[in-house]
Amino acid sequence: MKNQIKILFPAILLLLGSLIPTAQAEGTRYEMRVDGLACPFCAYGIEKKFKAIEGASNIDVDLDKGLVTVDLAKGKQFTEDEMKTLFSDSGFTFRGMKTQAHE
Amino acid sequence: MKSTTRALTGAALLLSASSPVWAHDPIFGVGPHVLFKDGMEVSLGIDNESAGKEDETTLSAELTWGITGDWAAGIELPYRITDGEDGAGDVALFSKYRFWRRDSLGLQESAALFAKWIPDTASEALSKQADDLILGAAWGYEGRRQYRWASLRYRINGENDAGIDRGDRMLVDFVLGWRPDPRGYREPDTVWLLELNGEYGRQARLNGQDLADSGGSEWFLSPGIFWTQRNFAIKAGVQIPVADNLRGNQAASDYRAQIDFEWHL
Repeated sequence: MKNQIKILFPAILLLLGSLIPTAQAEGTRYEMRVDGLACPFCAYGIEKKFKAIEGASNIDVDLDKGLVTVDLAKGKQFTEDEMKTLFSDSGFTFRGMKTQAHE
Repeated sequence: MKSTTRALTGAALLLSASSPVWAHDPIFGVGPHVLFKDGMEVSLGIDNESAGKEDETTLSAELTWGITGDWAAGIELPYRITDGEDGAGDVALFSKYRFWRRDSLGLQESAALFAKWIPDTASEALSKQADDLILGAAWGYEGRRQYRWASLRYRINGENDAGIDRGDRMLVDFVLGWRPDPRGYREPDTVWLLELNGEYGRQARLNGQDLADSGGSEWFLSPGIFWTQRNFAIKAGVQIPVADNLRGNQAASDYRAQIDFEWHL
């Protein structure tokens, strides 16, 4: 009986582990250079626009460095043209972006 | 005579209500700020103004919509409380278009044109019996630490039912802002403001004759504060008269105070 438990317990753990989704899906972290970011209140439009995009999360704005970082779920991507429009609609100027994989 | 009084007090006391609330703009002057596309701004404000024996408080609600990232429009719904009469003020429609913007790291310079139409929709007791229009331009320099704004407004006061040409007004504003402690995006943020607001009113006229007790100029020095956290803002300030040159027997302003609560949705 003790041996059976020894074998079954790790197997159950493995099974449960495969059923529980990971806290953070794999995807891409975008770091965007944006000009015109002077006040936090005015930057809220950026957060709202990204929140409306499915798969976008962890939106952050660094006003001093002019950086906006956003995580995007696996299988999705932002294009430069989309970002130019998004930031223009928010009242700012998009300058460029870098990407890196995130877990 | 009642119409004459209305025309003149209307011109004197309806000025602080002539500046719609616009995001990170000055309190009494106007800046070039608009709203992000499809954004909604809800603002609730109270202003109180006193000139001699006249005292008036206005409660106002404003709703602004971001049509594009550079163009916004909205509606203002005021309720006026005066010494004699209380009631709905004139509903106003306004719009602003930012025609120029230069962005760099932590800095935005921009300029905008704006208009506000104030048709005669107030309750009968508070009616000025005329439609007014404000046209203006604003420029702004907004950095992480310093702010500078300048604006010019021209108010075309319509002729009222009694045939009084109420006299147009011109308003000029110069504003400095200082953020002592630049904070992060989600942290509370405070900007201190100091405004210089000038107003000049042409004399009112009836049947081609100037009305003696009308027109002239006033200047105000106006300290204020702008406190925000993420999408919520509180703006407050006081206009302190520093000089006036009013024609005839007119009471100069004692003070004007304003506080606004603003949400970006």
